[in-house]
Amino acid sequence: MIRCEYHCPRALGEALGLKAAVPGARVIAGGTDLMVRLRSRELAPAALISLRRIPELAGVREEQGGARIGAATTFTDLLDDPVVARDYPVLARAAARVGSRQIRNAGTVGGNLANASPCADSALPLLALGARVRLERSGGSRELPLDDFFLGPGATALAEDEILTAVILPPPDIGARALFLKKGRVKMDLAVASVAVLLSMDGPVCRKVRVAAGSVGPVPLRLREVEALLEGAAPTPERTARAAEVAMRCVAPITDVRSTADYRRHIVGVYLRRALESLLGREAA
Amino acid sequence: MTTQTGEQISIRVTVNGRVETAELRADRSLLEWLREDLDLTGAKLGCNEGECGACVVLLDGRPVNSCLVLAAEADGREVLTIEGLGRAGALHPLQQAFVDRAAVQCGFCTPGMILCALGLLGENPDPSPDEIRRALAGNLCRCTGYQQIVEAVLDGAGRMREGART
Repeated sequence: MIRCEYHCPRALGEALGLKAAVPGARVIAGGTDLMVRLRSRELAPAALISLRRIPELAGVREEQGGARIGAATTFTDLLDDPVVARDYPVLARAAARVGSRQIRNAGTVGGNLANASPCADSALPLLALGARVRLERSGGSRELPLDDFFLGPGATALAEDEILTAVILPPPDIGARALFLKKGRVKMDLAVASVAVLLSMDGPVCRKVRVAAGSVGPVPLRLREVEALLEGAAPTPERTARAAEVAMRCVAPITDVRSTADYRRHIVGVYLRRALESLLGREAA
Repeated sequence: MTTQTGEQISIRVTVNGRVETAELRADRSLLEWLREDLDLTGAKLGCNEGECGACVVLLDGRPVNSCLVLAAEADGREVLTIEGLGRAGALHPLQQAFVDRAAVQCGFCTPGMILCALGLLGENPDPSPDEIRRALAGNLCRCTGYQQIVEAVLDGAGRMREGART
């Protein structure tokens, strides 16, 4: 593939020291995306820093009423986690749609986000759930809303000396329900388009709505205009149809090997409406 | 198991129950090491990007695409390849079920299919046909049309449950 150094530190501090000390070093967790890009020579890092022996980066734990997901938590671990199943089932649903079983056994949440693909399955429910990411460097750390982490295809807010160490979920919104819908050519494929919706009602009106869409822009998108249209309003069938139209206008898909821009736009409209109607306990028109 | 640094690394991996040690370049995949250095050619090089499942081995009991795992990442862990399951004349019940159910034609996908199925059966000894199809979604077969493979896994699961009872 590519000649490079390999480091397998046992402590986070050591990994952060290496990241700062070795220019062009790349972090490797599951390797499911990175190995493909190394082999094609799309990436040629000077060094790889493995995260697999750093205990605090793996697994989910409850933190301040919410949850902290270590960046090196695999999708299989996410699927098996009782906290995720109880408080954030939409995330488990998305994890189940990542690749094949053997990909889920290796691929990690942190890798999925740091790879910054517009189709990252975990990014959509995490955007809808209001997740933040923790970025650490030697002697410091910061947290960003996940919205602000993605800068473009393959580009993130991570600085050269930083490592994405955790995803932070706020306490579960009591009364809110969420859905993730993904259209793939076949079940295990990358998304042609995907939608995640979180909805919380206050009597007849929407109290809180979060909408995210994947594979329809340079990054996983949060559709704030759609959220604003629905929040504080009664979600009549007319309004959900209007929300679907706005969603189709807000996204910016491209045509590529997996699908056309037109079809992707269409799917976003259909899936948004389907998700809303389903969360409202109605049949989609 | 020391902290590995540098382009050349040393690893110690339990492969099919035997401890193997090696010095190798850090960029080599687990699949390359198994096939080229250990002559364990059961795991196949198919797509080399995690789509086809022909290279699946069990890493600490879980199926992974060995083309997407650095050999370095297997250090200190356990690998099971198809060679570690059974041998001619003494096949593993799941292998025998593949033979009896004609779930093998060219055989290229078979090691990956069997190891993926074995990973499933480790967690769920009595899966439904649908659960089997989902577990094998990342394993492509161009010959059999999958029906016989699903039947073989159902059959093999039954034989393994039977074996566990006796």
